[in-house]
Amino acid sequence: MKSKNYSENIIKVFKKDGFVLSEPDVLLDSDYIIQRSGENFRKLMFTFDDDTGKSMCLRPDLTIASCIKYLKENFKENAKIFYSGQAYRRSNNEKDKIINDQLGIEILGSKNKSIDDLKVLKTINSSIEKIKIKNTSIKVGDVSLFQKLIESLRIPERWKVRLKRHFWRPQYFEDLLNRLETNSDVNPVSVDLDKKRFSEMQSLDQSKEIASRKVSEILSRFDRKIKDPRSFGENKKIVKIIREFLKINCEIDKLDKTLKSFVKKNNLNNSLLKELSTVKNFSKINKKTIFSTNFGRDIEYYTGIVFEIYNSKKKEIARGGRYDGLLKSLGSKKNISAVGAAINLNNLKK
Amino acid sequence: MKNLISIGLPSKGRLKESSIDFFEKNNLKPTSNGGERNYFAQIENLPNSKIIYLHAKEIIQRLGDGTLDIGISGLDLLKESSINLQNKIEVKKKLDFGLADVVIAIPDDWIDVQTVADLEEVSFEFRDKKNIRLRVATKYPNLTNNFLVSKGVTQYKIIPSLGATETYPFIGSSEIITDITSTGKTLKDNNLRVLKDGFILNSQACLLVSKKKAAKLRPFLNSLI
Repeated sequence: MKSKNYSENIIKVFKKDGFVLSEPDVLLDSDYIIQRSGENFRKLMFTFDDDTGKSMCLRPDLTIASCIKYLKENFKENAKIFYSGQAYRRSNNEKDKIINDQLGIEILGSKNKSIDDLKVLKTINSSIEKIKIKNTSIKVGDVSLFQKLIESLRIPERWKVRLKRHFWRPQYFEDLLNRLETNSDVNPVSVDLDKKRFSEMQSLDQSKEIASRKVSEILSRFDRKIKDPRSFGENKKIVKIIREFLKINCEIDKLDKTLKSFVKKNNLNNSLLKELSTVKNFSKINKKTIFSTNFGRDIEYYTGIVFEIYNSKKKEIARGGRYDGLLKSLGSKKNISAVGAAINLNNLKK
Repeated sequence: MKNLISIGLPSKGRLKESSIDFFEKNNLKPTSNGGERNYFAQIENLPNSKIIYLHAKEIIQRLGDGTLDIGISGLDLLKESSINLQNKIEVKKKLDFGLADVVIAIPDDWIDVQTVADLEEVSFEFRDKKNIRLRVATKYPNLTNNFLVSKGVTQYKIIPSLGATETYPFIGSSEIITDITSTGKTLKDNNLRVLKDGFILNSQACLLVSKKKAAKLRPFLNSLI
């Protein structure tokens, strides 16, 4: 089948399932994205300055571009949209594609997690069936499961925030675990030295600013930090649990059993075993589904299920997931849940 | 002249003096016909050589475009340059002068911030509570970006600086800085402190060679190292 026919057939399925065409802008305001996603995103973007010195970029990602459009047009309710277009990403690796042809769907303002997650998966799956690609397999993860695990552990609050925030940066995450394990976060010698300065600073005008931070802010964070409950042996045990959790990798049918034994062995509470219905639904769609806790760690905005579909040659042909925080981080005042997925046309071509 | 060897040396300060010392120790004495301010020189007894005194940053650029064959400049400037440029230049030898570190420095009174991890937390406070991003003033945007992102700090904004970066946090132009320091005195005198794990790069002067010219330069380099 030719690529044009692929697109036509896939779009037919998208429309039949109730998704409406939406064409996000190709050119985006780079500062708008960097302001919200941070300086590291700049590496991926093709940026240039217009005549006024304003920095623009080619859309690096169609999900982000779709969300920006959704916010701009001020939709009041949920939108089920599809798009067909290109995303442009810079890379130092010559093997990486710079232009990615994508066909995707998004449910923005998703009300019912489980139903919408399944809807997206079903639509993507029937599109792939429609273009007669057989023997596919799926890999699925659930980022929220990791967050539940961290919530249930006994570690200082700021460590929880830290571990959750950096889940999607595996290398740095490993550094964090090492640091938690060796407890090298707070140095008692320098704490003593700084305590002296601490009491000196208490007599300063508390609203005085030092490089944009009020004296009171600095002192209260210092105080919070040194009072963090810390226990060396406990941390070691916790790191072990996290590492063991991230090794869970099983067939979808064995997920329940595997998680139960993990929870029991480590004496954790049962919250980890709840709300797994979406993930379990995957087995109805495709028997060859593998569940992995260590999956979905390369895209920052995913917050729930994450999946990739592969062809018989193990090449990724589609990916998607739930991203409940992205719209807010792009400027929405309220929380807007969303889920979506895209088919990678480049990998369908022979 | 096809076999002419062009050598770029730093045009100012201690780096200039030490570079000349290094050449002299290897029995290659730079001599100049003009006055002290002349930017050109030659190596005594080596008629096919030409020395040009340039800004250390410029030396990297000119090695990249082939105007220079050999040069002495700082590792910090090489590592800050674009990947494309770095690929064209080989570090032939690290020299024992120009030793300095590129570091992250914060206001000394930020007593709650000791490590990059603390900085990361504070950067989120800036974003969440003040709705602004932590500003990092620097002469080294590339090195700074790579380092911060590798350490999990992403919520910041680079403020390019050309010099006297130490003043930035105290005149409201940035909150923290990255800069090069050899003794740490300038930082200290300006009420700044280096983070415990805030070492971005150990820099020193290097003998650099344009990769394209490696074959032509072999005899000369053999005499030098």
